Amino acid sequence: MRLTDKVVWITDADSPSGQALLLRMAAEGASLLLSSASGGKGIEAQLARVRQAGTKAFVAAADLTRSSETERMLDEAARELGPVDVLVHNGNRVVPISVESGEETAFLDVMNANAKTAFVCAKAAGKRMEARRSGKIVFVGSIHAEKPTGSSFAYSASKAAVKMLAREASVVLGRHGISVHSIEFGPVEGDDETFRSELSLLYDSYRYKVPSGVLGTHEDLAELVTFLSSDDARYLNGADIRMDGGFLMHYLDFKTNKPQTAGDAS
Amino acid sequence: MSLAGKVALVTGAGTGIGQGVAVGLAERGAKVAVSYHASASGAMETVRRIEELGGEAIIVRADVAVKAEIDAMAREVERHFGGVDILVNNAALQLNYNFEHDDDSYDRQMNVNLKGYWQCMQAVIPSMKARGSGRIVNISSVHAKRPTDFDTVYAMTKGGIKMLTREAAIELGKYGITVNAIEPGAVNVGRQGTKETRPFVPPELAERARREKRDVRWKFPLGRVGLPSDVASLVAYIVSDEAVFLTGAAIRLDGGSMLL
Repeated sequence: MRLTDKVVWITDADSPSGQALLLRMAAEGASLLLSSASGGKGIEAQLARVRQAGTKAFVAAADLTRSSETERMLDEAARELGPVDVLVHNGNRVVPISVESGEETAFLDVMNANAKTAFVCAKAAGKRMEARRSGKIVFVGSIHAEKPTGSSFAYSASKAAVKMLAREASVVLGRHGISVHSIEFGPVEGDDETFRSELSLLYDSYRYKVPSGVLGTHEDLAELVTFLSSDDARYLNGADIRMDGGFLMHYLDFKTNKPQTAGDAS
Repeated sequence: MSLAGKVALVTGAGTGIGQGVAVGLAERGAKVAVSYHASASGAMETVRRIEELGGEAIIVRADVAVKAEIDAMAREVERHFGGVDILVNNAALQLNYNFEHDDDSYDRQMNVNLKGYWQCMQAVIPSMKARGSGRIVNISSVHAKRPTDFDTVYAMTKGGIKMLTREAAIELGKYGITVNAIEPGAVNVGRQGTKETRPFVPPELAERARREKRDVRWKFPLGRVGLPSDVASLVAYIVSDEAVFLTGAAIRLDGGSMLL
């Protein structure tokens, strides 16, 4: 077990990636601080399962765009679990928003959910890790920190902002023995819907743009996060790891593993 | 590379890079709207320099964190010059806090540096669409890629501008609008600003250079830091007819310093 006695804070535990993360990291022996907007209702089954296996889990619905609430929540959780060793900032607010006609409220909503919470959490956790001279922070980002979506510029901008946050934190917090990483994750099943675009063909036949023809899962993500959170990753710091099965390397459609159908001219 | 007949709106044009860009575009024939928020005397200096070159300029004021002010500014430029061909997004804050940012200073910097760039684009898109062409240049920073170690949120905003530029390039291409970013390294803007508007002068680097009796120029293969006129030269190329096929690019302009 690679995370025995570690306290792991996972944000947006309600999300599919959050659920995979909490199950995986609990299985490695971690205690869990779970930020859950539903106050745990969205993850009742997962909570029951890990608690039955002996995992300590503290669920909190604090607003992570506010430092004061976040700090208070961390202090409360520390009394139950001990201080946080690992922060996994996870969360993916995607709202279609165009450069030309997007509304300010939608922009701020996406930026705050994805980027501001990342800053607030890193600051609050970083301060506490700094005092103990150790800690790990992993930001679950997206391939759209580099590749445009053609549907939500605010989403891409928020993920690129978090990528820079990770790099800054790797230097600033790195001096205190904390390592910080970001993961450019994607695509997973359903992303063609999530990022439906009239401008970009990126998600057309997207499964086959992954060279192997097999999409990644949230469990794949959880494996990587677990590794980065463990002592095995001790010399990694400031890494941006693109975990996309080679999706962004795709160039020529006719060279994919896509099965040919009778109607295909090629 | 004549820009005669073109109308350019340059934000943050009362100081530093923005001032250099405004003057550089005017020098090549563009009519320039000099936009400022805090530096009124700087904006007047920009106009004075433009007029000295025989160019034409007006001053407009807007806080780019406030959409209503941006829209009013765009209307004023249109009233005066009849539409905008070139937008140079340059107005930005650099507060020089690392993780000392509180929630408010985080918001303030995001709202100017990222939301402001986007909303200034929105304000000029209609007039560019009407003409079937337009040029948007976002002044970013090498810190869209390299950490600063002096302002975390500043780097976050610059990372965001990288993707704003790419997304806007694919969205606005159909209107004949190109969108590009310039990533300058250290630029000597030759002034002492207030804490709010202080230009990029990494104090640690200056201090270390002093301590080691080295010139800060050791970080720059070309032997000097950048000048606002260097940025202006690249902007002038990007907004010219020569660069009609260039869009979604981020061009590093740092005298090679990122390579060291």
